[in-house]
Amino acid sequence: MLDFVLNLLIFFIITAVFVKELGLMVNRPPPQQDVELKGDESINIQILANGEIWMGDRVVDVRAVRANIERESAVNPKSGVLIIAEKDAETGVVVQVIDEVHLGGIYNITFTTSG
Amino acid sequence: MQSLRHSSESDDHGIDLAPMLDFVLNLLIFFIITTSFIKEAGVTVIRPNADTAESRESGNILVAVRENGEIWIDRKPVDVRELRGVIERLHVERPEDTAVIIADKMSRAGMVALVMDTIRAGGIKDVAIGAAPAG
Repeated sequence: MLDFVLNLLIFFIITAVFVKELGLMVNRPPPQQDVELKGDESINIQILANGEIWMGDRVVDVRAVRANIERESAVNPKSGVLIIAEKDAETGVVVQVIDEVHLGGIYNITFTTSG
Repeated sequence: MQSLRHSSESDDHGIDLAPMLDFVLNLLIFFIITTSFIKEAGVTVIRPNADTAESRESGNILVAVRENGEIWIDRKPVDVRELRGVIERLHVERPEDTAVIIADKMSRAGMVALVMDTIRAGGIKDVAIGAAPAG
């Protein structure tokens, strides 16, 4: 019985280790082609170093990203999202934006940096 | 007399397989654990929260990016220039592994992008940005 309990313990340790990590998948543009990507049918979101989020020509709050994405994807359901973050932008903000875009229904996200 | 000797001989020949089986099973489990163990980053980082984070079952190379730009992999700090070599070595060891970048909330997006590109250049195409479940 002790053997059995030990095996059970080991089994649970293994499964606990396997399911631990959570992640968000994003695409990266192929090297040296950032300029071309900006021209296509994608929704652009810019994240500045000071935490401002720009969609089109407006500053939006992180909580408003979802609504904007939903509207844009209703207009053009096939569009992907291009996130252009400044090099000094915080990862926390970037991940929040990716999360909001996911909630808005778009999983085709390309992440690139500028400046 | 004849029958007694016969029975003792049969006892000598019949090896009890049960303990050996247990031992082999434990050995097997031990090797499964050691080979499939997550390559932990070795530092604690404050992960950003995300509602839509997916569970990554085979994501077992963790690359940590701290808020000061340090990169930790396999419990050692590495320079961004050494990272590619480290990733290539890990990729050769276990080609089916995928990577998860666990970046601190306060780390810089440029650093995360650079690490992501380096991991891809090192041969691991499946890279995710780590997040904690919200709430």
